[in-house]
Amino acid sequence: MAGRLFVRRRDGRIEVRLNDAGRAIAREAFGHVLAAEADPDHEWHASLNAPIDPSHDVDDPLATFNRQSEITSNVELAVATLGEEFLNDAEAWAWLCSLQIALRATITAKGLLSEDRLALADAPTRDYITTLQTFLFSLAEVL
Amino acid sequence: MPAVKPLRVSGETQTESQTTTLTQRPWNVVVWDDPVTPMSVVVVILLKIFGYPNNKATQLMLTVHHEGRAIVWSGPLERAQGYCVKLQSAGLLSTIEQDS
Repeated sequence: MAGRLFVRRRDGRIEVRLNDAGRAIAREAFGHVLAAEADPDHEWHASLNAPIDPSHDVDDPLATFNRQSEITSNVELAVATLGEEFLNDAEAWAWLCSLQIALRATITAKGLLSEDRLALADAPTRDYITTLQTFLFSLAEVL
Repeated sequence: MPAVKPLRVSGETQTESQTTTLTQRPWNVVVWDDPVTPMSVVVVILLKIFGYPNNKATQLMLTVHHEGRAIVWSGPLERAQGYCVKLQSAGLLSTIEQDS
């Protein structure tokens, strides 16, 4: 997966240059985000439901509903376009948001919230984090 | 009566003023640092959600990186909640707090 993974074409479309393995990783990440939003027992659920106003015990229900809707809409769009060769800007944004949520949920669920803790993570976890970061770097370049 | 009335009016005015001051204090949208989010991703998210110019988005990202947090927007509660939700939906760690 060396080189740029997402490339802005002259016609404005964003070319997805992920191979099958890369798409499988993205599929797994999107699947976890989708599952975590609906399942309170999923290890990523807490990360997707972080406090909006920590000074209150309960957040505004409308705000939390809006967040749930937005996360779900983005990840459903990302899943629907997983097999596409080209993405438009809205689809690429949905990929970026969903991959970034997966990245943060991974470190939150594993308690890797500092540089020191991150350095102690096992090799598969570090590889997974590095892979998601690589996807995100490349997506950010074209958005 | 005349001696009492001005005192009451004065007290009511003071209370009203304090209430107004309290409700008008803006709400801050805060973005927090984490050890994994690429800097360029933070910039893109700030550009997309707030429409900031690139140099402002970059400066805010650097504040998050160096100071652990940055206030990225201030204003009324409902809009602050809306922006915070958008930032969280984009995967950033964000909260709101009332300006002190």
